[in-house]
Amino acid sequence: MYGKGLKPLSIATVALLAVGLSLVFFYAPLDADQGFIQKIFYLHVPLAIVALVGFIVGGIFAIFHLRSGDSRWDAYSYVSIHISIIFGVAVLITGSIWAKASWGHWWVWDEPTLVSFLIVFLLYCTYYPFRYAIEDRERQARYASVFAVTAGAFVPLNFMAVRMAQSLVHPRVFATSTGGLPGSMMFTFLVCLAAFALLWVTLVKFELAAKSASGQVKRLRRALDAPSPGGRSRIAPEVS
Amino acid sequence: MLGLVLAGAPALPLDEAGKYVAGAYIVFVVLLVIYVAIMASKLARIERELREVAEVAEERSKEGAAAPGRGSETPSISGSLASHGSRGGGD
Repeated sequence: MYGKGLKPLSIATVALLAVGLSLVFFYAPLDADQGFIQKIFYLHVPLAIVALVGFIVGGIFAIFHLRSGDSRWDAYSYVSIHISIIFGVAVLITGSIWAKASWGHWWVWDEPTLVSFLIVFLLYCTYYPFRYAIEDRERQARYASVFAVTAGAFVPLNFMAVRMAQSLVHPRVFATSTGGLPGSMMFTFLVCLAAFALLWVTLVKFELAAKSASGQVKRLRRALDAPSPGGRSRIAPEVS
Repeated sequence: MLGLVLAGAPALPLDEAGKYVAGAYIVFVVLLVIYVAIMASKLARIERELREVAEVAEERSKEGAAAPGRGSETPSISGSLASHGSRGGGD
């Protein structure tokens, strides 16, 4: 069920990523201030936006789970957060590389944007041990959903707080009175954003398809009166 | 092919900045490859489990066909799975 449409989605993702990367290196002009280093922007910023939106989406799925009690929504929420954490790892590493190249330091602790993203990332890293600590599957799913809703609400609040804070070195390029991105850079950025958003959707579908297949095998084992070799998964929700 | 691409590309300043940009994009690709490798191993495990379940089901249907009246004397699926050396685990 979850594997349906995965092939065209994967092809579209690869094609859009290829177009995005081509635009980054062969179309977008060099930044007057940062030069070639600014090319990291087209990787780092879309990844960060998609990761943060993914956390919020995970919270929305968790609301659906709490309202309906349907475990499928819990699985969607779990997978959304899981993929967003992977994107978050990429954001932190690419951001550190950009910081080193641009500011001369791998990390700047008095920069609100960096530290706030790290706080959000670490908050979501506690999702796994929190979930793993609860044995009962129904309680586990319910508590994880409450966590996802609370943390999901924290993401936009955190973003607004950082936006209002006086940044020391981190540039503001969207919706600023001092000027934004020129057209060609904005177009390239939007294509990259669409490509990474599509990649996120594809990976979520892949993960759900794998979990669904695993769940079907376990159901088959139970139907055949055969114990699952590892028993029921304690951390990841099963998808049927 | 690569020569054509490079000829068509603008002069990229691949000096000090180039290694950082390359590093950032390589990190992304490496993370993606690691994820795909993990997914591949998961799929391989699911495939193995599915094969084991299919073998057990076939064994059962053969035994059922050979001795239709035995019913309760049919060896348990758990025993059959153990003899197949079933391994693996939940994720």
